[in-house]
Amino acid sequence: MSDKYCIKIENLTKLYGKNRGVTDLTLGVKDGDIFGFLGPNGAGKSTTIRCMLGLIGYQQGSVEILGMDVKKQQVEILRQVGYMPSEAMFYPSMKVKDVIRFAADVRKMDCAKEAAMLCKCLEVDTEKRIEELSLGNRKKVSIVCAMQHKPKLFIFDEPTSGLDPLMQAEFFKLVLKYNEQGASCFLSSHVLSEIRKYCHHAAIIREGRLVCTDTVENLARTNTKHIRIIKDGREEEFVYQGDLNKLFESFIGHDIADIVIEEPQLDEIFMHYYEEGNHDAV
Amino acid sequence: MTLFRHEMKMNLKSLLVWTICVGGLCFGCILLYTSLEDSLQDIADVYSNMGAMSTALGMDKMSLATLTGFYATEIGMMHGLGGAMFAAILGAGIVSKEEAGHTAEFLYVFPVKRTKILWQKYLAMASNILLFNIICAAFYVLGFLWMKEDMQGKEMLLYHFAQAFMHLEIGTVCFLISVFSKRSLIGAGLGVPVILFAADLMCRIIPAIEKVKYVTPFYYANAADIFTSGKVELEMICIGVFIVVAAFIMAWIKFIRKDITA
Repeated sequence: MSDKYCIKIENLTKLYGKNRGVTDLTLGVKDGDIFGFLGPNGAGKSTTIRCMLGLIGYQQGSVEILGMDVKKQQVEILRQVGYMPSEAMFYPSMKVKDVIRFAADVRKMDCAKEAAMLCKCLEVDTEKRIEELSLGNRKKVSIVCAMQHKPKLFIFDEPTSGLDPLMQAEFFKLVLKYNEQGASCFLSSHVLSEIRKYCHHAAIIREGRLVCTDTVENLARTNTKHIRIIKDGREEEFVYQGDLNKLFESFIGHDIADIVIEEPQLDEIFMHYYEEGNHDAV
Repeated sequence: MTLFRHEMKMNLKSLLVWTICVGGLCFGCILLYTSLEDSLQDIADVYSNMGAMSTALGMDKMSLATLTGFYATEIGMMHGLGGAMFAAILGAGIVSKEEAGHTAEFLYVFPVKRTKILWQKYLAMASNILLFNIICAAFYVLGFLWMKEDMQGKEMLLYHFAQAFMHLEIGTVCFLISVFSKRSLIGAGLGVPVILFAADLMCRIIPAIEKVKYVTPFYYANAADIFTSGKVELEMICIGVFIVVAAFIMAWIKFIRKDITA
């Protein structure tokens, strides 16, 4: 991974009238990274992505993509970005092959070879009309449109929702392949397991503010423990964060038949970040 | 011009349906004139003496007893209103359909300036309106030739020029509305021409609101006026040009700053 940033967001603030979009968000993604962007519904993930693509304006801060200012060089940025929106919608009456060709034609590129390879990998039926496709199949078309021009940066907004597990694996295989060839990837997701499995770095956003950003490994390394205990004849299971001595002190006077202390699942740690005002114990 | 071609393809079916419906219907009415001729001659005087109604529909200027008079009053109204509805529905949907149909995040992330997107969409709308008018006019000319009637070529040309421009003006106003909206606007598309048509009828009848004629493009594109005077009021066309240019500039200013959120 290089030291250059492919995404550099500083103090980004976006308001929709009086409603909050994102507040004072600062984020950096280095070249060659696969970066996960996590947060609950309405946290501001899509707003951040739309600001990155210049689809929406913002009141404060700066957004640089591939070293270019999104407000000044939006067209040049979009030339080098492959974007997949969360709602993969196309023109219902068009055939899949026409949508894919249209996406290449607007970019003034011949992507037929790459598109054919992607359609084969993702099992896309190019003769069908968009109106005949399920969400999952529309997602696959969206993946082809985002990847066929071999961009330097991929931006995916909840890419795997609607895809079956086999296609999810195929999708990440493609992401890893392009990543090996030098492309960077920024993906928003609710699915913690895929962030853990495929991302190098991740950030968590909640209520429009960045909660934390680090390597996935470091985010998982906390003083949080998953505890299973048989206390006074009753089995209990919980996640504990804090001083273990205090936990043991709380057991004094109780009959402890068994106790298992283990590292928590990554999901449990992320849930801790998601939950408002809960930083000491979960 | 990929986006222009794309828009043309997307609107082809609608263009064909509207052209066949309006042009075909009016063509059919021209051919039916022979069978109506005798009865129309009997009632032409009655129609021309219906006071305000005759004035509003131009039947005080042209007689239904001739094919040209029938064309300038009945056919002209059908073509004008039908074409205005087509232009308005087209204009009202051409930008807003992207957000309403959730295709905005597909279309607006291509490396194309928003100005270029808007311009190509407008060009597609204008081309559709022009094609509609050319094909419909061809239907009517064919009708006149079929009936072996003189069609007053100069007036016919002026009338169809005025109609095409009126449709473009209505389309552009709806195009402006479309840029401000995130929803499908078929209702507004139908409402705008009906209101403007009603305004034209009213301002011809009620002297107190005569000034409304500067607002509604149906006034300068009135068939009976053009066929009797042999000219289109230049002053009105200039107002129309101003409205078209102003509406497009306002649409552009809004569109380049618009938040795309769907």
